[in-house]
Amino acid sequence: MSTSTPKTDYSTWKLLAWTGPVFFIGFFVMWGLLADNFPPMAASTTAQDMWQHYKDLQTEIMVGMSVCMVLGSCYMTFGAAVSRVMRRIEGPEGMLANVEMMGATITYCPIVVACGIWLTCALQIDRLSPDMVQTMYYLAWMIIDLAYMVTSWQIIAAAVVFLRDKREKKLVPAWVSWWGFVTVASFFPVSLIPFFKTGPFAFHGMFNFWIAFPTWYVWIVSMSIFIIKAVSRIEIEDGAAQPKEVPVRGGAPLATR
Amino acid sequence: MVAVRSGSGETRRLPGVEGVWVFVAADMVFFALLFVSFMLGRQEATAVFEASRQTLDVNFGGINTLILLTSSWCVVLAVEAVKRNALDQVPRLIAGAFLLGVAFMVSKALEYGGKIKAGISMLSNDFYMYYFTLTGIHLLHVFAGNILLIVLWNKARARQFSADRCVVLECGATYWHMVDLLWIVLFPLLYLLR
Amino acid sequence: MIRHVTTLVWLFLMLATIATTWWLSKDGFSPRVGTVAIFAIAAFKVRLVLLYFMELRTAPLPWRLIFEAWVLLATAAIVGIYLSTPPVASA
Repeated sequence: MSTSTPKTDYSTWKLLAWTGPVFFIGFFVMWGLLADNFPPMAASTTAQDMWQHYKDLQTEIMVGMSVCMVLGSCYMTFGAAVSRVMRRIEGPEGMLANVEMMGATITYCPIVVACGIWLTCALQIDRLSPDMVQTMYYLAWMIIDLAYMVTSWQIIAAAVVFLRDKREKKLVPAWVSWWGFVTVASFFPVSLIPFFKTGPFAFHGMFNFWIAFPTWYVWIVSMSIFIIKAVSRIEIEDGAAQPKEVPVRGGAPLATR
Repeated sequence: MVAVRSGSGETRRLPGVEGVWVFVAADMVFFALLFVSFMLGRQEATAVFEASRQTLDVNFGGINTLILLTSSWCVVLAVEAVKRNALDQVPRLIAGAFLLGVAFMVSKALEYGGKIKAGISMLSNDFYMYYFTLTGIHLLHVFAGNILLIVLWNKARARQFSADRCVVLECGATYWHMVDLLWIVLFPLLYLLR
Repeated sequence: MIRHVTTLVWLFLMLATIATTWWLSKDGFSPRVGTVAIFAIAAFKVRLVLLYFMELRTAPLPWRLIFEAWVLLATAAIVGIYLSTPPVASA
């Protein structure tokens, strides 16, 4: 087979898979820690206090957000690696691998736009009125949060395909797929964030920030780990690499299956 | 499917697939956190919560509980019928569960309608925020469950279930019972806690 | 036989619901007693649904314990916060 079809480029594939960790670690550090978003400034903060927050943290927010705008693109490359693993399961005619890649790619858009708005807010702080700062701060939150459905399509597509994996030991374990469904379910109440400045459904509140976001984060981390492993497993399945240890107990090595 | 032998010799088995239980457990934890959040909110404004609670119609809440319990029971009977290979009864039982699910949604629509007509929305105060959002999120679960029941009904009519092929039905049943179970707590929390 | 059991469970759940909704919630009971009783019954009802409808009674023990713990923690949290909240002064 490998003589008639072009060779699979496993090293590029692995490289793309590793952009998953680059995304989730980079975002955690730059957006969360450096730009002081753990927890984010509350929606109920007065315009004056918001202005002061941006004034005090101007450099941190500028550095954090500009790095995030660059690193956010790794969600797309990670999505491409996931999509390729999915293609191995659903075949070349499968549609869900496309949905996954589009979903991951478009998820980058609200991320880059929102971070750009927060960045500009810090950049222009001396020229902006407090009301303007508040408006821009809300604007970015509305965009980044309410785009959840495009990410949901990505997650649903991945979950469905990985659950259909017929391998005895699935490339991505079933619990990750089901956690994907949990993530999607936790996204829907995010639609409530425009209506509340306090309580569990405000964008900094318990549901949106401490349930929906961490649930998604857990999905990204676990999916990244299993995609990195999956590419190596596929390489062995294809016979392009030798297993380090015999992975199948008492049977033929995977490479010969 | 997980099956292990228990000490007494009977087979211990989790219905459906493990993933559904992961989903159900996570969903129940989310709801539990919202229950706690409601109780803490109530602590801040007990008088407002109590005054607002008294405007709710207990009859709606109680009847909705009876509806969901009965719907759940229909699903239990459907699963049992499949395991006895009494396949003729299965579509009827699932249809019954579905119609009761629809009845729940209709009753909820009437209840919401009355509140909105009275000028009350989720923005009126913190109690109504919890009332509308918690029952609304639960209603989304009911809606999803109803779609699931239609799928199961179609499969049952096509005779796709049997005593040794009932994992899909069991998954659906587990989800639907969770929707019932959450309402069993939500109802007293919002309507009866005084 | 199994049919018999789950039907009895259903009947009990219905009766318990009727009792809490249209009897225990009335003013004949002090709010504290009524509310705690209502949540004790609700917890018991949830447990019945878990064990009999969702078949956790015959499930591997760890799964059963996780869900039983949920019932315990959720009820304890609700009732605990309720009891630590000063009652509303009746108008």
